[in-house]
Amino acid sequence: MAKMRILSSLGDSVVEWDTEKATEGDVEAQKAVKEAERIFKEARARGATAFKVDAPDKAAERIDKFDKNAEQIIVVPRVAGG
Amino acid sequence: MDPLLLLALFAAIVMAIGVVWLLFVSRLPYRYPLGNRHPAFARYYVNKQEAEQRAESLLKGLLNSDQYNHLVRKGYIEVQSGMYPYRTYRIPRHRGSVEVYEMGRLVMSLCVQPTEAVPDADVVVMHKLMIEGNEREYLRRANYFDRQTDPFW
Repeated sequence: MAKMRILSSLGDSVVEWDTEKATEGDVEAQKAVKEAERIFKEARARGATAFKVDAPDKAAERIDKFDKNAEQIIVVPRVAGG
Repeated sequence: MDPLLLLALFAAIVMAIGVVWLLFVSRLPYRYPLGNRHPAFARYYVNKQEAEQRAESLLKGLLNSDQYNHLVRKGYIEVQSGMYPYRTYRIPRHRGSVEVYEMGRLVMSLCVQPTEAVPDADVVVMHKLMIEGNEREYLRRANYFDRQTDPFW
């Protein structure tokens, strides 16, 4: 299962989808992917930055477009100088 | 009238007044199950605690065991710069500025914050991801506190 975590005051909200099932044509899995993509776009529109994270030892990679094949996406809120 | 009955009646009236005072006038802790806080505050504290636990779990998942142990023991993690080969960022476990070390020497500190309130562990995640994946933007947004120019250093 692929995951997208959106950081917020509640900790993080998790959205999950099954890439394999979506590719095989499972309607529910495809809906989950579309919903994840919609949430991703909404967060990006609010100024959030998204990162693809695979393993602890591998550096995170910034992504501008939703990647349904990513193992884990983490969306961090907009940052500003303190 | 029997004086004992009169005394019992007086005691009953005093007790009734006492109960009414306790329930409706006093602000003693027993009114709310989680201390003398309003239930809304109790919910807030429970939510905050759950949020912090979730954030800690995410942070633990993003670090390898050595990095996590280092964070717990020393109170910070170090992230290597991708843009500057001799630069290391030291991210504190709790809120505070990120220190920048070059060749092992502290050269400046950076102040960057998320615009939404998030748990401390999520702030560490934010710094780590931004430095690893979006360092140029991170530096563009940061406020710098330079050792040479900051009189309060």
